Parts: sequence; C-alpha cells; structure tokens
Amino acid sequence: MIPLEHYLILSGMLFTLGLCGVMMRRNVILVLMSVEIMLNGANVALVAFNKYIVAASPDGVGPDGQVFVFFTIAVAAAEAAVALVIAMALFRRLDTVNVDDVANLRW
Amino acid sequence: MEALLFYVFGGVAVLATMLTLTVKNPVYSSLWMILSFAATAAIFVLLDAFLIATVEVLVYAGAIMVLFLFVIMMINLRAEEAEGLRWSPFALLAAGTFLVMLGRAVGDLGPAVNADQPNGVVGTPGAIAETLFTGYVIPFEAVSALLLAAVLGTVVLSRRKAAA
Repeated sequence: MIPLEHYLILSGMLFTLGLCGVMMRRNVILVLMSVEIMLNGANVALVAFNKYIVAASPDGVGPDGQVFVFFTIAVAAAEAAVALVIAMALFRRLDTVNVDDVANLRW
Repeated sequence: MEALLFYVFGGVAVLATMLTLTVKNPVYSSLWMILSFAATAAIFVLLDAFLIATVEVLVYAGAIMVLFLFVIMMINLRAEEAEGLRWSPFALLAAGTFLVMLGRAVGDLGPAVNADQPNGVVGTPGAIAETLFTGYVIPFEAVSALLLAAVLGTVVLSRRKAAA
C-alpha cells in the first residue's frame, strides 16, 4: 500500500515543475500550460487526501475531495478558454506571444 | 503491483511534465502534456477515483489540450521560443517552494489523516453525483455561471473589430 506521503511528493513535484514553467518560459501559451500543470498537481493532492482522511462522522467519508477536483477542472477549462483567446488577441494586435514584449501592460 | 504501477505512472507524469517545459516546439510540448495528464489519470485510478480519472482524460487531455493545440497551430508559433528559458533567481525560488512542500508532506499531517491506511472511499459516478448534488449544489451553480461567463467572454474577445 502506497503511503499518502508519496502521492503528496508527486503532487509537489508536478506543482513545482508548473511553477518553474510559469516563471521560466517566455511564450504565453507555454505559461498557460504551466498553470494547468500546477492545477493538475493540486488535483493529485486533493484526491490523495480524500483517500486517506479519517472519518469525522460515524457515517464515513464521502468523495468530497473528488468533487473539489471537479470544480478545479471546470475552472481550469474556463480559464484556458478565456486566456487562450486573450493570447490570440495579443498575437493579432502585437504579433508576438512573448511575455517580455507585452510588459507595457505592467504599469 | 500497486506500488510498481504508482512509481511507473508517477515517473512518466514527472518526466512528461519536464519534457513539456523544456522542448522548444510548442506542439511537442502539448503532446508531452497530454501524456502527463494520461499518467495522472492512471494515478487517479490507483486512488480509486474512477470518475475523476475519466474526466481527466476527457476534459484535460481531450478538450483543453485540443484547445491549446488548436491555438498553437492557428497562430503558428515556430520562430518564437528561440530566446530560450529564463533562469536566474527563479529556479532557486521554485526549489525553495518544493522544499517547503516536501517538508510539509513528510512531516506531521495532523490527526485528520491516517497516512498509512486508506479509508475505502471509491469515486464511482453515483457517489460523486450524490455528494455534488446534495452538499455542493451552490458551488455547482456558481461554476455553471462561471462557465457561462467564460463562454460570453470568449465570444466578445474573439470578435475581430470589438468596438474599436
């Protein structure tokens, strides 16, 4: 039986890799994909905790953590759609998808 | 057997994610990411989250990645990404984050979890639907409103001459 820690370490690895991608890639689309990877890492932790949590009530535990993952996936889908259309608008206007070239939105 | 499957699929997930972030061509990136999501779906199966595993394949590896591939091919990224990665302090920051998470994961997780003994929750469609439509009706409706807002936002943003 695999202990909870191993799932959490896997989840942390996926999350950290996504974080690296967000900070190190310069292509807007790759940055978005890295955000999806971070969400996916968090999903692994949610499902793993759901499996190992101790029942607080006598009627046992339900799949609440898995329901949270449902919501995460729905939010990720909405986020991907809106962010990708923003990336496309960016490409149409400025002819670039490099995040360093659109830093004039910062201030 | 179960441990072997976990390490195989976990390793595949991590390796595919690394390749996603390091390959130059964005099309290859998204293909590696599909593999990463497929391996994560297998991890969900090992955790008895069958419906979540299915949704992961259908929605993440299917719908979302098709969306990404579609946009990548539509704006034809090829000459981009010649600049390479941005290293410097960010790698250290990420490493620090990982160390903190690692410390939390192997440290004391509190009385709410029993890290060695799974509790037998099985994520069948019926069980998930029951939880979703009894305890989480309001968040469910909120998410449907969010998706509607996202659809409307996408339509508005993708019009060519949007009020300009």
